[in-house]
Amino acid sequence: MRGGGSGPRRLLDDARRFLSREECEALGRRAIGCATEGGNTRIGIDTWWSGELRWGRNRVTLGSDRRNNEIRITRDIKGAGASVATNQIDDVSIRSAIRAAERALGYRPTSPEEVVDPPMSFDYLSPAIWSDQTFDLAAPARAAAARALIEPAEAAGMLSAGYIEVRGSGRAVVRSHTPTLYASYTQAQCSMTVRDPRGTGSGWAGLSSYDWGRIDATALARRALQKCLASRNPSAIEPGRYTVILEPQAVHDLVQYVVRALDRQSAEGGSDPFARERGYSKLGLHVIDPRINIGHDPMHPDLGVVPFTLTGEPVRPVTWIEHGRLTMLAYDRTYALKELHENLGYPNTSAYRMSGGVTSIDDMIRTTRRGLLVTRFSDIRIVDPTSILLSGVTRDGLWLIENGKISRPVKNLRFTESPLFMLDSVEQLGHPERVFSPDAPAIVPPLKARDFSFTATIDAI
Amino acid sequence: MKFSRRNFLRAGAGAAVLAATPRWLAAAAPSRQSMVPANSDPDVRTLAFRAIEAARSAGAAYADVRLTHTYVRSIEPYNRRAEDSEEMSVGARALVDGYWGFASGSYWTPDEVVRLGREAVAQAKTNALGATRVVELARVPVVSDGHWETPVAIDPFEVPVDEVFDYLNAVGIYGRALRSGIGVTLGCMFYRQEKTFASTGGTFVTQVLRRTGGGLQLDYRGNTLRPDERYPTSIISPLLKLVGRGWESIREAPLREEIPALVARLEEEWRLPTRPVEVGRYDVVFDARSVGTILDATIGSATELDRAMGYEANAGGTSYLNDPLAMIGSEEMGSPLLTVVADRSTPGALATAKWDDEGVEPEPFTLVKDGVLTDFQTTRESAGWLEEYYARHGLPVRSHGCAAAPSALHSTMQHPPNMALAPGGRQIGLAELTADIEKGVLVTELDLDMDFQHSSGWSVGGNFYRIEKGKKVARLQGAGLLFRAPTLWKSLAALGGPRSLEWWPATARKGEPPRRWTYSVGAVPARFGNITIIDPTRRA
Repeated sequence: MRGGGSGPRRLLDDARRFLSREECEALGRRAIGCATEGGNTRIGIDTWWSGELRWGRNRVTLGSDRRNNEIRITRDIKGAGASVATNQIDDVSIRSAIRAAERALGYRPTSPEEVVDPPMSFDYLSPAIWSDQTFDLAAPARAAAARALIEPAEAAGMLSAGYIEVRGSGRAVVRSHTPTLYASYTQAQCSMTVRDPRGTGSGWAGLSSYDWGRIDATALARRALQKCLASRNPSAIEPGRYTVILEPQAVHDLVQYVVRALDRQSAEGGSDPFARERGYSKLGLHVIDPRINIGHDPMHPDLGVVPFTLTGEPVRPVTWIEHGRLTMLAYDRTYALKELHENLGYPNTSAYRMSGGVTSIDDMIRTTRRGLLVTRFSDIRIVDPTSILLSGVTRDGLWLIENGKISRPVKNLRFTESPLFMLDSVEQLGHPERVFSPDAPAIVPPLKARDFSFTATIDAI
Repeated sequence: MKFSRRNFLRAGAGAAVLAATPRWLAAAAPSRQSMVPANSDPDVRTLAFRAIEAARSAGAAYADVRLTHTYVRSIEPYNRRAEDSEEMSVGARALVDGYWGFASGSYWTPDEVVRLGREAVAQAKTNALGATRVVELARVPVVSDGHWETPVAIDPFEVPVDEVFDYLNAVGIYGRALRSGIGVTLGCMFYRQEKTFASTGGTFVTQVLRRTGGGLQLDYRGNTLRPDERYPTSIISPLLKLVGRGWESIREAPLREEIPALVARLEEEWRLPTRPVEVGRYDVVFDARSVGTILDATIGSATELDRAMGYEANAGGTSYLNDPLAMIGSEEMGSPLLTVVADRSTPGALATAKWDDEGVEPEPFTLVKDGVLTDFQTTRESAGWLEEYYARHGLPVRSHGCAAAPSALHSTMQHPPNMALAPGGRQIGLAELTADIEKGVLVTELDLDMDFQHSSGWSVGGNFYRIEKGKKVARLQGAGLLFRAPTLWKSLAALGGPRSLEWWPATARKGEPPRRWTYSVGAVPARFGNITIIDPTRRA
């Protein structure tokens, strides 16, 4: 594919839900035509439709249909840049946005020695990011799906709350002197929480994918209910260091912070988990357990992302960490041109796959003398960015494991731990699977790690 | 190649959409510099009622429509960077058989608003096929033609950007000249939202809401003056915090006087020795800002009625006030010193408005009175959930005007109003509260984390000082706070007086899809007894 996605079938029938390639191209070229005084113009367009359904206390509280165009216009002359944002696509608005960008440009100092952005044209990948089944999941189908999710919880006398969202979007980058990039993509997510009406137990399950067909809503409903029932009436345990068995969602909740920190400039800036000493990164060094690889192949059927960034850089397959060694850090084009003398950046889309092992969660439990089984984490905050020290709380199901068996549900705990430490203290790894990660797809294994630090008990259930 | 309008319209498959989109309000002012005409334009009224009629004729028992036009300008004077963003949106909401539907988009055209009105009804009807659900909207007086604006002396969007650059840069130059090694960073942000609301009840109101704010940060570039790397080298002034005012809020701020004051504060920090924290229980005095942070994170979040009822369970979480009807009127929230009043009419506060996003004119209401829970934050729908309590006390079922949305692109839901901790009776401040502490801790600029029921608190940031005989004797390295909300508020021992009240901006994230809402929290400095101080960076 060159410069964007192939036309999805439904778009031809239903052009109005978001702007097509032709509309974005025309809009962008018209904006570029309005520009005066030369230089470069870049129009980034995120145009989307979103169909949503939310429920609480076993009843739908809102069904919604929303659409918007987010347009960012950037003008660049002699190293000076300025941009404006609008969501209006008519002539008057576009012209006035270009004028506003040029007025803002007028204030900016020019820097002739600044790296010039040469016109680029690359071959872009064509990942799997469009699903007709997602785009066609109309309001009645969403309502039916919600009923199927609510019913088992209600029948069991529990209260459920949840959310279904399907989206169809177009992303376009229109630049002067360069072919237009356009990709249309879909996103789907489904998640639900089941609570005991007396508030003594809570369970959660969720999944996201570009393809609604890959989300087994029935399985989610069953899982959230089962977790709620099994987590009721937890008893308190002392905080401290525990062996933990983290379900894939819990692993993702922590490891996503590692992936986001994979940035070469901040590593070389010195205040980063991947900084070695001033000016050098940890590239090539051991950073986590040698059994683990972390990388991203956009062509993986479950890891597709829009194949270009809003500045036109192609998204390529990458291995960030191989056998525990840091092999790659992301950088942008400005850095590439200035430091590496090549004109291509290496974007970090936050999508990733973490490699796993062969141990099932049941086997992890069976081989644990004393430990905790964690469903997921919530309310996470970075305490110290230089070591990715995080703090947050467990949520929706925490169980004590004693002598190879789940012995009882326990009250939620606050943790203070770095995912880098956790990934260096791994005992067993399971089969990687898709998790709930609506912004960027992720495939993550469950794992067992020792000495995970819990620092306080909390009352919240 | 230049594209003429005709070429453009021919070019796209969706040309019809675009052809139907002359910016009919803006078209009158094609050379506009920054603003389109006000939303009191009669065409906006026509648009709004077209959507209402479409929803009504499609079968809505109730419908409302909002049109918002939001402008944000952010200015970074040092790099001479000014960035404008604009969003126009329109959203229609409909109620059919107890189920809500919502539809929104970005095109303000006669056809599009009709589509949105019908779509909202279609969404509601689809969900109404399931189990029965009853929604009773609290009564609200009809305002058939209301208009209100955040009062400002100078509309910041009317101030030329060059003037803003010059004004702020002059402060920077002054600061840098004052002392070598000083860096001064300034910036500001202007927000303006024109908002129209109309409903099947016949209400039609327009508002212009404004916010102005910025930042003033001072950095010591050289490391020679401070004792060692454990001491801060930068400090942020509270002077330019976000407020519901105009450019005058920045012009009136004594920015030049602030710079030597900030230097003095940094140097005062450097004179203090540091001590490692001794984990334990202490008498703790918090500055007004920190008390506001705690108030917002605990009682502010916990008294959102939809959250307390479990409607946020799958998102931000529920509330430790988990049985509102049983708890309202009796639940002990804290010491008898604790009274919390919510008010969306406080001048200059960020959630201040004449009408909320359901056309309700908010009145001040008391969430906590003398330590007892007396009310919740409500909307027209959720007020009815407390009907039994209100009836028992001879109170009307009335929305507290907490329906809100960041823009018409988002459906309305309950968001926090401005709220304030009632000051103590004595005219005292932070210094007096600290003075009679024999051995304790002073906390300023606290940064808090809460669990998903807003009960257990844990701090990730803030300044902690050791107090001995009423005096700051040391900075505590790596100190933090660990508490349970009800216990903390029960240990409230003394409050600052009315003159020590400060308002601070607060933001809350809520809902699915998540959105941010901004409001103001007022608080006085306060002293608490027996508070647990921990080292939050220490692992188990």
